[in-house]
Amino acid sequence: MYPEYMNASLKKVEETREKRYALAKERGKEVFTPQSEEEREAVLANYHPDYKDDARREIRIGPNKGERITGRVADVLESWPRDPSSRFDLSRIDYETDILIIGAGSAGLSAALEASARGLNVLIATKLRLGDANSMMAQGGIQAADQKDDSPVLHYMDVIGGGHFDNKPDLVEALVNDAPKSIKWLEELGVMFDKELDGSMSVKAGGGTSRNRMHSARDYTGAAICKTLRDEVYNRPDTIKYIEFSPATELILDDKGQIAGAILYHLETKEYSIVKAKSVVISTGGFGRLHIRNFETTNHYGATADGLVLGYRAGANLLYMDSVQYHPTGAVFPEQVVGFLCTEKIRGLGAQPVNKDGELFVYPLEPRDVEAASIIRECENGKGVKTPSGLTGIWLDTPLIEMLNGEGTIESSLPAMVRQFSRFDIDIRKYPILIYPTLHYQNGGLEINEKAETSIPGLYVAGEASGGVHGRNRLMGNSQLDIIVFGRRAGTYAAEHVLAGVTIGRLTLEHVDRYSEKLEKLGIDKKRISPVILPDYIPDHVKAKQLTLNYFGTLT
Amino acid sequence: MENDKTETVKIPYFPGCTLKTTAKNFEQSALRSMEKLGVEMVELPKWNCCGTVSSLASDDLMKHLAPVRDFIRVEEMNNTGLVDNEYRMLTLCSMCFNTLKQTNIRVTSSPEDLQSVNQFMYLEKDYEGKVDVTHLFELLDSMGFDTIAERVVRSLDGLKIAPYYGCLLLRPKSVGIDNPENPSIIERFISSLGGSPVMNWEAKSRCCGSYHTVDNKAIVIKSVKGIIENAREFGAETIITSCPLCAFNLDNRQEDIMKEFPDFDPMPVFYFTQLLGLALGLGDEVLGLDDNCIDPRPLLKRSGLYE
Amino acid sequence: MSEERNMVTVYILGEHFMVPEGSTIMTALEYSGFQLKRGVGCREGFCGACATVYREKGEYKLKGGLACQTVVSDGMTIARIPFVPAEKAAYNLEELKPDVSTFVELYPSVFRCVSCNTCTKICPQDINVMDYIQDIIKGDIASAAQTSFDCIRCGLCALRCPAEIVQFNVGMLAQRLYGKYLAPKSPELETRVAEIEEGKYESEIKRLKVLPKEELVKEYYERDIKIT
Repeated sequence: MYPEYMNASLKKVEETREKRYALAKERGKEVFTPQSEEEREAVLANYHPDYKDDARREIRIGPNKGERITGRVADVLESWPRDPSSRFDLSRIDYETDILIIGAGSAGLSAALEASARGLNVLIATKLRLGDANSMMAQGGIQAADQKDDSPVLHYMDVIGGGHFDNKPDLVEALVNDAPKSIKWLEELGVMFDKELDGSMSVKAGGGTSRNRMHSARDYTGAAICKTLRDEVYNRPDTIKYIEFSPATELILDDKGQIAGAILYHLETKEYSIVKAKSVVISTGGFGRLHIRNFETTNHYGATADGLVLGYRAGANLLYMDSVQYHPTGAVFPEQVVGFLCTEKIRGLGAQPVNKDGELFVYPLEPRDVEAASIIRECENGKGVKTPSGLTGIWLDTPLIEMLNGEGTIESSLPAMVRQFSRFDIDIRKYPILIYPTLHYQNGGLEINEKAETSIPGLYVAGEASGGVHGRNRLMGNSQLDIIVFGRRAGTYAAEHVLAGVTIGRLTLEHVDRYSEKLEKLGIDKKRISPVILPDYIPDHVKAKQLTLNYFGTLT
Repeated sequence: MENDKTETVKIPYFPGCTLKTTAKNFEQSALRSMEKLGVEMVELPKWNCCGTVSSLASDDLMKHLAPVRDFIRVEEMNNTGLVDNEYRMLTLCSMCFNTLKQTNIRVTSSPEDLQSVNQFMYLEKDYEGKVDVTHLFELLDSMGFDTIAERVVRSLDGLKIAPYYGCLLLRPKSVGIDNPENPSIIERFISSLGGSPVMNWEAKSRCCGSYHTVDNKAIVIKSVKGIIENAREFGAETIITSCPLCAFNLDNRQEDIMKEFPDFDPMPVFYFTQLLGLALGLGDEVLGLDDNCIDPRPLLKRSGLYE
Repeated sequence: MSEERNMVTVYILGEHFMVPEGSTIMTALEYSGFQLKRGVGCREGFCGACATVYREKGEYKLKGGLACQTVVSDGMTIARIPFVPAEKAAYNLEELKPDVSTFVELYPSVFRCVSCNTCTKICPQDINVMDYIQDIIKGDIASAAQTSFDCIRCGLCALRCPAEIVQFNVGMLAQRLYGKYLAPKSPELETRVAEIEEGKYESEIKRLKVLPKEELVKEYYERDIKIT
């Protein structure tokens, strides 16, 4: 339950609720005026964390050398390989496969299913278990323009505007065109989408969408999709093999510059193994667990940008690594759930963000960066509520949902949220929740084209690890869509690449050696290594006494 | 004759799994027939499987949880007003009946066992031992077969029907709905519908082969062939049963018998409620005759009971 | 977490550690110096990786929970269950029927349920696990799919089941059968997929793709927003 000192503020929220409810009931009118282009630019420039002076720095190495990118990302890219290439005997192949998929969220699983459907052998290597990914945690929905009053054209417009017009048009086109087909594919695999009685999809609005386009599966949308894909992968043991607890630590090329495999590192036995593959798909997800600017994150434990490091060292270009997505509504109270995602579906269902005085201060469904920056502005202007642990947040007025949609809506549409907060004695049907932006998504990543190809022959990237689909800001529900659309494309085109006939030459890690030489010249501390693999949450006073500590901020 | 405004009685009804899956015709014909007779069978909310086979081991209380949980549902129905002071728990399937009743006897006659079971199920209200497991035959008997006879609109005149008790309606004695050696309840039921019960045939309570049907069809084929031939010997045109497993064996296994013995003359098998419904004027859409394996319609047509 | 907090004692696999009051089991483990590799996943209650069995001080009952969602109490004894070696039937969904016969074939142990409810008692998601197993026995696949839907597959139900049922895999199968065969189909979806395949929107998207940025920006801010 909320501490007593918050009661005065809670009371104000309650007092203004009726009036705000009336606003919401007024058809054809927004509860708060959406921001113009100029207003958006102003709030982003002044309050979005990306725009702080020290948010970015120049990267001094690799394909994007000279570009200003997010500082923490530059640090991870300017790090040493876990082991020098001389440690590895590339003549002893442990696994040989047609397609190696690194990362087993929904993008990797989709890629595996498509490749398997084309009769190829697939090996999935993943850092934790199959399905251990941000994919599993997505709550709110997946976009697809399948309603009568909607179209892929409108979807295209929303995506590209939300991304500040920086998106690669070919990728957006693929995204919106494949969307309805992807929903159909998922349904045929048995995903249970929320539906009306007549079978039509229950769709909601999301931030920055011009139509109700958000398909959901309660607030377990990502889980419903990801666990179905995983179940299907389990059903195909003949063509899809998988190795868990084995992150890739380096890509292997051949002497012709083609992709040729990867080095895996077993987290428990600490043994490395060599995988030789004719094609590789990177689907390792994003970087939330790098805790950029010390933000809490909604991300999975394994979201440490490993794929970026692998691809970058092998020579693949990065796109938009200067932008970070902060989800507008991360929990700030109670302490145990700080940083946890409070799905955008909550606002899609009509909940409004209000300040400590119960006042609306932003249109509830701006694109995420604008919404987040506006919430930060409100808090910095002294209109937020302080938590006992010293954080600040504003209210997200959930009880409105049932006033607008009827009793029982919250329990049936947001069971995960109800569960999450009731574990700490907060009934979100009766009380608002306290939120603040939280580190959520890697907008950019390894550059791909509409076939999910990189500049390295045979190397494909799909999902959050890729860059270009969402420009500099992703909209809600387009990530779940991205991982399915480009996961399938990666699997399909990787399979085509293999079926067209590939001859792998001599395996080599020379690209890693060349990269290391540059690190040496830059004088990078040898203790700084990447990929990070897992974040380190051991407290300093314990760490100081541990005997096995070798590296900074990563797994030993 | 239209329903003469007798008040409807609401009785808690336990369907069991088979009536919801492979024996839907059994359930439908029973529900609608009883409606005609002024009984509303109110399905237990959230009932669970009866346990299927009653455990005879004295140290295996775990197997009695399922029935007791269902008894708790019946007591709850009384507390929440779904039924009014009605603790009879109506069952149609002989196997459910037998399993449920055995457990009820066990826990109501052993306070220690009841306490153990109640303690194990600490999330549930305690079972107070009020439930009376009742088979539909017993209910019909208590309503009076004469009364039922009065409601018959399509008398089964002349149809020679063999009453098949099987094992579970009669044994053990403490559970049985009638004298295990010389039962008469199904005969009286048949008479009330205007049919002619086949009397004193030998196989009426012989085992059908039961679960051997899954892993040893041969045993069942042998047993069923004997039962059908014995019924025919005594002049039967058809057999009725109240057990979905008996029905499956008696009815569906005749196809296997025919494959093995080309001269075998098949005999239709009914759930007793199908004939009850027929006599009360219910149509095929309720009786579900299509779901019977050996098509009973030619026989009914011959007897003038089916158009 | 700051150092001045009240500390409580927990027993991790029986071993004694002092951790800050209010920690979750997961943060308590990390505070104690364990770097987690197994038994950790999304850390927000969605992935089921951190199934944990614990016993509170003075209690005899074993409880189940997710390490990331359960707050420690003084004297709590903790054992993580990072893996459940449960059976998963491999099947071709295209060939299955959405009825009870599929479960008879693929998961016959379902029919051994004695209704003891142990699965429901241990479920950290408070799902009525026994009810959905019973739904399947009764042939009500739709209800089983809906009831099991919030399952995150931590596996505690299967570990506790005296009848050796693999509830979470059974539920998954029910969900997939429902999603594919029993849920009513969306007519709009079929239509839109066909329209896209016919290239209905192609020219308009091609136009937008090459539109000069200023014009695209203008069209974007002027676009008609119709949400309900």
